[in-house]
Amino acid sequence: MPDWDEPTREDRDVYGSSWVTAPEDVDARRADEVVEEVLEEQTKPLGLWADTWRRLKRNRLALVGLGIIIVFIVIGTTEAVFYQMHWHVRASDEAVRSGAPGYLAPYDPNQVNYDLSPEGLGSPPSWQHPFGTDFLGRDILSRTLVATRVAMLVGIIAVAIALTLGLILGPISGYYGGVVDSIIMRAADIFFAFPYILFVLLIMSVLGQGFQNVFIAIGVLGWATFARVVRGQILSVKSMEYVEAARAQGATDMRIIFRHVLPNSMAPVYVAVAMAIGGAIATEAALSYLGIGIQPPNSSWGLMISDAVNYLAGGNWWWLLFPSIALVTTVFGFISFGNGLRDATDPKLKE
Amino acid sequence: MIAYIIRRLLQLVIVLFGVTLITFGMLKLVPGDPAVALAGKGASPEKIASVRHERGLDRPFYVQYYKYVERLLHGDLGESLYSSRPVGEMIREAAPVTIQLAVAAVLIELLGIPLGVYSALRQYTFWDTALTTGALILWGIPVFVLGYFAMYIFGLKLDWLPIGGVGPTVLGIIPSTPASWSTLVLPALTLGLIEVAYISYMQRASMLEVSRSDFIRTARAKGLTERKVVWGHGFKNAVIPVMTIAGIDLGVLIGGAIITETVFNRPGIGLMIYQAINSRDTAVIAGGVLFATFFFVFANLLVDLGYAWVDPRVRLED
Repeated sequence: MPDWDEPTREDRDVYGSSWVTAPEDVDARRADEVVEEVLEEQTKPLGLWADTWRRLKRNRLALVGLGIIIVFIVIGTTEAVFYQMHWHVRASDEAVRSGAPGYLAPYDPNQVNYDLSPEGLGSPPSWQHPFGTDFLGRDILSRTLVATRVAMLVGIIAVAIALTLGLILGPISGYYGGVVDSIIMRAADIFFAFPYILFVLLIMSVLGQGFQNVFIAIGVLGWATFARVVRGQILSVKSMEYVEAARAQGATDMRIIFRHVLPNSMAPVYVAVAMAIGGAIATEAALSYLGIGIQPPNSSWGLMISDAVNYLAGGNWWWLLFPSIALVTTVFGFISFGNGLRDATDPKLKE
Repeated sequence: MIAYIIRRLLQLVIVLFGVTLITFGMLKLVPGDPAVALAGKGASPEKIASVRHERGLDRPFYVQYYKYVERLLHGDLGESLYSSRPVGEMIREAAPVTIQLAVAAVLIELLGIPLGVYSALRQYTFWDTALTTGALILWGIPVFVLGYFAMYIFGLKLDWLPIGGVGPTVLGIIPSTPASWSTLVLPALTLGLIEVAYISYMQRASMLEVSRSDFIRTARAKGLTERKVVWGHGFKNAVIPVMTIAGIDLGVLIGGAIITETVFNRPGIGLMIYQAINSRDTAVIAGGVLFATFFFVFANLLVDLGYAWVDPRVRLED
């Protein structure tokens, strides 16, 4: 007999699940928390973002996600800003020979033969090389850090491309409706018909491998998601009174779309952006793993994993473990933050 | 219902038109002149011209597209540029391996439904948090990462399961020997677990959303037992959108199956595409992608029709 049939008094008090208690019955949260909130609400009016933040704060998983995103963006941009600079310095003078550490990466990520075991399997983690070294003796910690930059760049640029396309086509589709809407949405259907990763593979096989092509393939294929999200929002916003008011005042279509409708439709778009960045990073890793994404000697988590698996039978687990952890953590960060943001901005969940 | 089916079929035609147009365009966009490649090394300009004419490569784009679709309808997907084998034949050989994996993964994926329901019924308890966190983490793991870890631990270190290959089957996809079953375990679990995470997360969200709706309140108000409220009213409504998601998810699953095959060295569509990528064999890539897309599109159609049959609101929409 499932025990949720008979909720105990304790269940009600502690968990306040909407199943065991009638929705309006008991507030789930602790009394002092509620009082605090009521006071807060009474003393100052909350804007959309303050309200979202207030609710996001309660979601621990989302905060962890946000923390992860910030850490990886810092690592990525630090490398992007300082890596090049260090490069020239280190490539040109005795800093290379003396093994001077870089800004975050302790070693030059492309420097070979740091610590190569006789079997050519690199050395396991040690104090000198906390993540070990790979089959050329390159320092895996440094390569993992540098690859952060690639991952962040792909995530942000590819999603920026997709978002731009979506923010142009979505509003047009939603605002004008009719034939234009049908054409754009049928095109979106066609893009959704392909299994995503296969479509990317197909495009990459035509464009050829390489850095920019990864951005283009992932970015161009992403538009349909954003266009659909924006269109749905616009449809729900467009019949509202303030839009009518704007039209009555003689505002142009463009002005109504970009000035009135879009800003009020963005919350789900931000959610989609967070999820899409996570997805783009995972896709880049998959492409690089398959050998058609980022090319050596550039470093990418997918590429490092692909190097690792070729020698997996040799027992060199550290090649696989560290880039995988970096990849999984980053993707988790974006997905978990995106989920939290959705819960925090969903009007259906507002009390 | 019939009106809905007709509308949905019309939509299908448009989608298939677009999909074939895109794959055809991709084949055309590949750098290099196919006539030169087909004529062979060092062919004279006259020979190249005659090959071009023979193959209809000098005809306008729409004629070539029409011929392409005509050939597709006859099951002719072109020839591999690398091995000169018909792509259709390669797909017929490889497809059962991929379908076997996808079906196994779908069966595992359904475990997400009870997990999600459990989470929703126990919202904010320890187990709910643990399951939700676990689902979010698993969800973010690329399938090849999980695959290699599973292979390393259970295949190489513990030596419990084979690390790749396929075994004999009956009826095309059902493994017929214990060894054959054992080759399926790691790939299916790898692929299935990631989707379990996704499905359980969605089931939880859907269940919670339904729990706030008016008809649940009504059901309670009329004095139904909690069990009837949860299962008869709540679950029944909450599971429908999840089934649709599972259908849409099939696309992810096919994509995942393709990558899983490269990890576990299963000679399915995925490995075929992977090898074709390395030899830049666009005809094979396009054929494989087209096959997977058709499979996905038709599976979605079935799911949608099933959804419309269960939930009349869907078929009456616009």
